[in-house]
Amino acid sequence: MKNLILYTSFALLLSATTAEAQTQLPAAGKPKDFVLPASKKIELPNGLKLTMVPYGNIPKVTVRVVVKTGLVHEAKGETWLARYMGKLMEEGSLQNDLQSLSKKVAAMGGRLSINVGMESISIGGSVLSEYAPEFIRLIAEVLTTPAFPAAAGERLKNDLKRELTVRKGQPDAQAQQEFFSILFKDHPYASQFPTEEGLNALTVEKARDFYNKQFGAQRTSIYVAGNFDAAAVNTAVSQSLGNWAKGPAISYPPVKANKSSELVIIDRPNAPQSTLFLGTPVPDVSSPEFTQMEITNSLLGGSFGSRITRNIREDKGYTYSPYSAVMERQSNAVWYEKADVTSESTGASLFEISKEIRGLQAAPPPAEELKGIQNYEAGSFVLTNSSADGIIEQLNYMDMFGLKETYLTNRIKNLYSVTPAQVQNMARKYLNYEDMTLVIVGDKKQLESQMNTINDTRKKKKAF
Amino acid sequence: MKFSLRHGLRKAFYALCLVPLTTMANDPVPKAGKGMTIPVEYYKLANGLKVVLSQDKHAPIVTVAVYYNIGFRIEPKNRTGFAHLFEHMMFQGSKNFPKGEFDKLTERNGGFNNGSTRFDFTNYFEVMPSHMLEPILWAEADRMKALDLNQAALTNQQGVVKNEVKVNVLNRPYGGFPWLDMPQYANENWYNAHNFYGDLKDLDSANLEDVKSFFSTYYSPNNAALVIVGDFEIANAKAWIDKYFSAIPASQLPAKPDLTEPVQQKEKRFSKEDPLISKPAIAIAYKMPERNTPQYYAMGMISELLVEGKDSKLFQHLVQEKGYTSNINGGINYLGNMFNYNGPMLWMMDCIYDGTVNADSIIAKVDQSLAELEKEVTQESINLAMVKMRSSLYDNLGGFYGIGLADLLACFALFDDNPSRVNQLEAAFQQVTPELVRSTIRDYLRPTNRTILISQPAKKETK
Repeated sequence: MKNLILYTSFALLLSATTAEAQTQLPAAGKPKDFVLPASKKIELPNGLKLTMVPYGNIPKVTVRVVVKTGLVHEAKGETWLARYMGKLMEEGSLQNDLQSLSKKVAAMGGRLSINVGMESISIGGSVLSEYAPEFIRLIAEVLTTPAFPAAAGERLKNDLKRELTVRKGQPDAQAQQEFFSILFKDHPYASQFPTEEGLNALTVEKARDFYNKQFGAQRTSIYVAGNFDAAAVNTAVSQSLGNWAKGPAISYPPVKANKSSELVIIDRPNAPQSTLFLGTPVPDVSSPEFTQMEITNSLLGGSFGSRITRNIREDKGYTYSPYSAVMERQSNAVWYEKADVTSESTGASLFEISKEIRGLQAAPPPAEELKGIQNYEAGSFVLTNSSADGIIEQLNYMDMFGLKETYLTNRIKNLYSVTPAQVQNMARKYLNYEDMTLVIVGDKKQLESQMNTINDTRKKKKAF
Repeated sequence: MKFSLRHGLRKAFYALCLVPLTTMANDPVPKAGKGMTIPVEYYKLANGLKVVLSQDKHAPIVTVAVYYNIGFRIEPKNRTGFAHLFEHMMFQGSKNFPKGEFDKLTERNGGFNNGSTRFDFTNYFEVMPSHMLEPILWAEADRMKALDLNQAALTNQQGVVKNEVKVNVLNRPYGGFPWLDMPQYANENWYNAHNFYGDLKDLDSANLEDVKSFFSTYYSPNNAALVIVGDFEIANAKAWIDKYFSAIPASQLPAKPDLTEPVQQKEKRFSKEDPLISKPAIAIAYKMPERNTPQYYAMGMISELLVEGKDSKLFQHLVQEKGYTSNINGGINYLGNMFNYNGPMLWMMDCIYDGTVNADSIIAKVDQSLAELEKEVTQESINLAMVKMRSSLYDNLGGFYGIGLADLLACFALFDDNPSRVNQLEAAFQQVTPELVRSTIRDYLRPTNRTILISQPAKKETK
């Protein structure tokens, strides 16, 4: 294992100030080099991958198993089957039912939870260091011999129904599902809500079947980070997972996000705010332009000092929580801006958002502004790699998107290589406001008088 | 970028994914089963500023936190939400460092900042690459000294804060339930029982005079603690702190109002309507024993056994056995943890359930869980609670880029004048005996000491 030193190039951004000591911002010290934590990777004969990262002085260890399956593998009409399966797996293994499992894990100072995501399912938790091997064995039981107790079937289904009801009432969830449905139609990436009938039709058998079809060693990675005895961990993994069946190969159904300039308004009577969801497909992780897109996103809406946030929050006070992000999926990426804005300022907010996007298309950002954003991204990278969980997250991200070791070693250099002209080019090439999908969840009554303003922002404007 | 939103009341939820922080590969590793000892250096400046330094060189990161001993409990009576509104004003710039510069200094040099308002403090913190320590200390001192308070900034932040209340409470199903609602029902004393996020009307009527007088009253070095955690040199830090903070004058602090709550003698039940929900939710809150008493530590252990994890009594009974709900929230101080407050507090649980279930069935299960715990508690249960407690304590002491540790050090400095308490917590919990657990359940977790609040879906009008 070797430690890799990254030469960070934080350049301090100073403002002009007066010359008196107490009234003048002092200079920063010399940036320290950042040492990337070393990790050890082992692949078992059945294809299961183990990554160990010794890190830190807290007597705890984080174990996370990631299986490359999830909502993405649900068939039509079986929405949330993967989540149902996850809940059933949480009920325990053939050796330990939920009560016995929970007791054992609690005695290690931990909790075992299963998170079902779009493209991956993660199983794990953190426990006191000395229990790492035992914890791994318990996780392995749940992973390879889940009980799928029939007795829990109805109760867990009812939990999902309750959750569906709760989610449907959230403006965020309403906006998000509408937005992604326009982009991904009936592909699981659309994040559609299930129907009550659909949930009723789920069975324990179907869940077990999903598990049998989608789980196996080839699709599985296990990450162990923090303080632990590496030899004991290695032994626990080999013994408890070494004989697990290979299972299916990694496979994600191909899909390309659909570009649409649709505007949808979902009525939320008397809502004090409109929830805006605005976005469009952009180049994905595999594209050479992706880093440029990440920087463009941070500068435009993805950081507190970004242009849209400074404008609609820190100048106009229309909103508290605006942000933009790039949602990443296999072979897909979608840029979106999300904000909950005061109902009567919906049109005004959209006007300002469109102005900021077009402004970036019209002129490259000043070098100093870009440098600040690059520092921000480089800093985020350092922070991510300064904690056990962050390191796991980083390594899993690289694994999910097939990124090589050079992604880590070149990350900081690549961030700083983006130029103002490239940022402007990203905005021009991919972020045309009038071509974006726009979903508004808000009070139609209050939106009526603002429709002219809203529609006017959607007209093609020659920005460049 | 991820967002973690914990009940708002913070400047922004721009936060990098906050995850437990650990240390360098070449640091000495603790032996299995051993606890942690945190280095703590504590002193005060002549103007009363409390300073806590805790070095940890595992990563080239430094965390600076300034805690002011003013929370939303004691904001002006006709200005609900004011302490939090003021927190936003601390980011609006000074004569030396105009609006936007503070955020630029942190974010655009590779770090992040945030602030939050809680019952008994308002905090401001920055997580930065190590070499940024001096500029950050200067910037914190600069805003402690003098803000450039102006109407434009105030109007802007009134807009932002009103939107914060809308997004977290008014337009959100179960918004404010139970973290904002319950104190208003359970407590009698206005200081503990008002809407601390603020009525929109009160937020609107805040004026520049209020802001100026609040700042000059509470934002002074003798009402604050400054904490530095992470990778820095002690001597440098001390020199910079002296250089930038020592000349800031102390202020005359007003006497702290009486925050005590009368002892509750009767169970209280309330229900409220929420037009945005279609499933009811219930919260049950009990008044806590006084902070730092033996019973207080016992409550920490009881909470571990009652509501933490899937092996807990309430999860086993309400989720696993009955299927009334899929998730139980619970614990001491919904806006933090059992260490970072200084006054009356509630232990609470809550869950969303189906309309077909009678709330009394849930309450009966809670009573059954308490009765079982009282009857069955042994040294073995205490040991289990201890393991759970230690594990979460280590996460807190070592996690979140040092923010968790800075929080404890600042609160123990402000409230107890003793930040070294971080190293005494484990021993305090070790003192809890089965008998103490039993008497604490009898004395505090009695029906007559609780408030029950049910949030009901609004009745649909039939047209």
